[in-house]
Amino acid sequence: MQVIPSICTFCGVGCGLGLRVEQGRVIGVEPQPGHPVSQGQLCAKGWSTSFAIDPANRLTMPLIKQHGQFRTASWDEALERVVAEFQAAQEAGGLNAVGVISCARATNEDNYAAQKFARAVLKTNNIDHCARICHSPSVTGLARTLGSGAMTNSVADIDQAELILVIGADVTENHAMIGARMLRAQARGARLIVIDPRKTRLARLADIHLQLRLGSNIALLNGLLQIIFKHGWENATFLAERCEDITPLRQHLAAITPEQTSAATGIAVADLVRVAELFSHSPAAFTAYGMGITQFQSGTNNVMAVSNLVLACGQIGRPGTGINPLRGQNNVQGACDMGCLPNVYPGYQKADEPAVQEKFARAWDTAVPTTPGMTSMGMTQAALQGDLRALMIIGEDPLVTDPDQHRVAHAFEALDFLVVFELTLTETAKMADVVLPVASFVEKDGTFTNCERRVQRIRKAVEAPGSARIDWQILGELAARLGYAGMAWDSAEAVFDEMAAVTPLFSAMSYARLDKHQGLQWPCDENHPQGTAVLHAHNFPLGKARLFPLSQVEPAEGPDAEYPFVFTTHRFHFHYNCGSMTRKSPLLERETPAGLLLINPQDAAAHGWHDLQAVCVRSRRGSLEVRLQLTDDLPPGLVAMPYHFLEAPCNRLTNDAMDPISKMPELKACAVSIEPLPDGVLPHNPIDAMEVGLHASL
Amino acid sequence: MQAFELDRPERLRAHLAQNATVYEVQADGQGGEHWESVTVDDQTAFRSDAATPGFSAKRFFFAEREVLFRFEGGQFLSTLPEVGPQVLFGVHACDLQAVAYQDHFFASDPYYQTRRRATLLVGVDCLESCEGGFCHTMRSGPEVRHGSADLVLLPRQNAAAPWLLLVASQAGADALEGLALSPASDDWVAERQANSQHVARQQGEQADIVNGVALLNAGRIEAATWERLGLQCLGCSGCTSVCPTCSCFAPLDQPGAGGSVQRERVWDSCLYQGFQKETSGHNPSATAGARVQRFWFHKFGDEINTPFEHYGCVGCGRCDRVCPGGIGVHGVMHRVVQA
Repeated sequence: MQVIPSICTFCGVGCGLGLRVEQGRVIGVEPQPGHPVSQGQLCAKGWSTSFAIDPANRLTMPLIKQHGQFRTASWDEALERVVAEFQAAQEAGGLNAVGVISCARATNEDNYAAQKFARAVLKTNNIDHCARICHSPSVTGLARTLGSGAMTNSVADIDQAELILVIGADVTENHAMIGARMLRAQARGARLIVIDPRKTRLARLADIHLQLRLGSNIALLNGLLQIIFKHGWENATFLAERCEDITPLRQHLAAITPEQTSAATGIAVADLVRVAELFSHSPAAFTAYGMGITQFQSGTNNVMAVSNLVLACGQIGRPGTGINPLRGQNNVQGACDMGCLPNVYPGYQKADEPAVQEKFARAWDTAVPTTPGMTSMGMTQAALQGDLRALMIIGEDPLVTDPDQHRVAHAFEALDFLVVFELTLTETAKMADVVLPVASFVEKDGTFTNCERRVQRIRKAVEAPGSARIDWQILGELAARLGYAGMAWDSAEAVFDEMAAVTPLFSAMSYARLDKHQGLQWPCDENHPQGTAVLHAHNFPLGKARLFPLSQVEPAEGPDAEYPFVFTTHRFHFHYNCGSMTRKSPLLERETPAGLLLINPQDAAAHGWHDLQAVCVRSRRGSLEVRLQLTDDLPPGLVAMPYHFLEAPCNRLTNDAMDPISKMPELKACAVSIEPLPDGVLPHNPIDAMEVGLHASL
Repeated sequence: MQAFELDRPERLRAHLAQNATVYEVQADGQGGEHWESVTVDDQTAFRSDAATPGFSAKRFFFAEREVLFRFEGGQFLSTLPEVGPQVLFGVHACDLQAVAYQDHFFASDPYYQTRRRATLLVGVDCLESCEGGFCHTMRSGPEVRHGSADLVLLPRQNAAAPWLLLVASQAGADALEGLALSPASDDWVAERQANSQHVARQQGEQADIVNGVALLNAGRIEAATWERLGLQCLGCSGCTSVCPTCSCFAPLDQPGAGGSVQRERVWDSCLYQGFQKETSGHNPSATAGARVQRFWFHKFGDEINTPFEHYGCVGCGRCDRVCPGGIGVHGVMHRVVQA
């Protein structure tokens, strides 16, 4: 038995994990004692890691689809096919007729290689990843108010907070070790305030729970700010020294009354005043938010409204404070940092600036693209229009996780060529023309960056199954076949060193220094060789921060006579994303039946529906058969569904109305109707006719 | 019990390593302590004061993942583990008590017994309490309890004095064959008692534990208290994974080529909602509070533990360390007493 130190892959918290290896197999894990983030603990997902990476159903050979059926192929044949198809696509449709979707679960090294492959080899900025559908509004919103979209403080700041404000985040379930730390902070005397339309575990344990009406975030945050300004509770010194003039915001809010806010949000005036007073008077208030802020068509404005509140009270730039977006995937921060976004190179160097283009053209010794790139949703649209012809997807499963599944499937079908890098044959992989088997995180070296900007090492513990390779190796091989020799790295460390050399935010990082410091938080450069725990202590990237007047934007679709229920999506503690990893655990799979629609018991009683009633739930985009689960987690009128389950893909229902700035789809709100199924009929969601044609499998 | 003087425990370790794989707790340099194998010429010093490792000796016998059988070509093929002779060197009293508890539970389990029978247990008395430990209250330590080890190492308060080695079983005596040892002359019985009292003073009265266990067995803990505790339980399975006496497992069937199936058993956790759920959907422990209550009844309930002649808790404190919800043994018993 050997125990190899690594980092958990199940969310953005970045807990320290020991991989327990016996006879070339990871048989279990243990928490790393004394880890700066997780302090010797793990959540249910972390503890079940060994099942998630079990080689039993892993892909071991490249697959090529022929006459609608996959057959195994040699690496040589598969890679030649990819090269030929990408060349053909670009010859037919121009350089921007191809794109790369990288992966928020892969390492920094893989992501660096992916964006370099797109820009240096394919000569396109069509590179994106799934941050689009979790925290792109954090990036766009905080870029406007502060100049930087990352968590401003650190997980350990929770220990120093006097007040913790959680908005639209189910922290104990989705970022369990941060949620646990919040509960410990509360036990030592910190006040815990939760703003959420659902009665989450944390909401039930909180000192104050504001159960706002779904989608009324801006109204609530504006209302709190109006009360603060009216009482003169704002931090005038901070506003004067650190922020641009806020007169427009003051004027905008002067028109609002607490009664209006109460009517718009469903929160009593007294509770609004109490929270406004506590937050503005706290010596150190730590603000955390999640997808209950970002996954709206007003996502960017929602983030800016959070920023307004925090800035007005000066709750930023000090230990125990900050604006802290809780990121979903283990390396979504890193995928952004590495430049797997159409508009930025590694370290947020702007892709449209000629100086940046010149810098990378020189560093990479090749021309780089000068035309703007497309987001993942843009690529979907372009595929439907025939403008995007070939797509590479590295380790993501957008068919299950993106909104409006039918549209995504149509888009993939419209492509001339789809290549997917995957561990297992996911739904997206099933639609590919070529599937390339890759190594999992226990089979390679590299780094992940957690939500507090901490870059941490993972280490190879076992061999990859069959002929599976590492993503950056595959990309290097493809680059060589396409005539570019600049990606022939011999180790993950070599990739990292190249990245650090061209990325000022990471310039003082190396594997040796990451080992020594249990990870380092960027910016880590010659001025901050030990990394940076608290951002914006003295100034903001914009210089002075900006507060913007914002107005409440209702969800694109509200309930009406035809679709009388408000529908939202959420996650369970026991599952992660599309479930392709967690559902391999017999224990986690047993825990949560697939296909549940959560509903308030009053709603159920009003219609004569019982617990586990089989129903059909329908939106303007599609329908699903599920079972009701009665719970007072939800207020009457609101129903909710987890999104982990292929058997009940809730994204058939969700709305792809988009935030105009970040292109974030509105996954958190739409309208549905519910009809009971006849007695004795079991819920069943056949993959429909359109999908069947696309689901050729082994 | 026979007692010898032992100049260096490493000499005993090297002797045992001649005929068996010896495992010992070693620090990983990153704050972790793990059971790792040591070779016959390993020079590292044995640390009697090593911190309690994250995992007890449990997994050596009750493996966290174990193939039970394969179904192939219409036949069931049994797969008993192949285990050569092994020595666990320097097991603390608490963990040895847990092995004794599990020996009872798994008395007729061939997988467990195959591993267990191949193993020699060398215990070590603790001279100082570990952080959070309460073995004295649980009557599982700090001195290795009678019958729970084959050999027992006694470190000395006087560092200049030679170690003592107690022979606690016939297997232990046999294992010493060929090792030159002289009989102990000091009054080791009195010294062990003094050590035990010293550790007992360090661990204190443990009033929350004592009173909490009494309330639990008197049925005087309100359901509402359990439900409140249940809200703090994230169902992570950490406590049951590290608990040295937890013994629950679940099947994991994995289909292979040509219709074959391999069945593994894997560590399970009674804190999962699905653990007791029946096919009908009925669940005897439907709420998180009921599951937390059930877990602690299994650790401290008189009815459950009478056949084992010991509590299901050995006082190691591992659950306190790994519980994200702050409801390890001390957290639970404190809230129970305060309620």
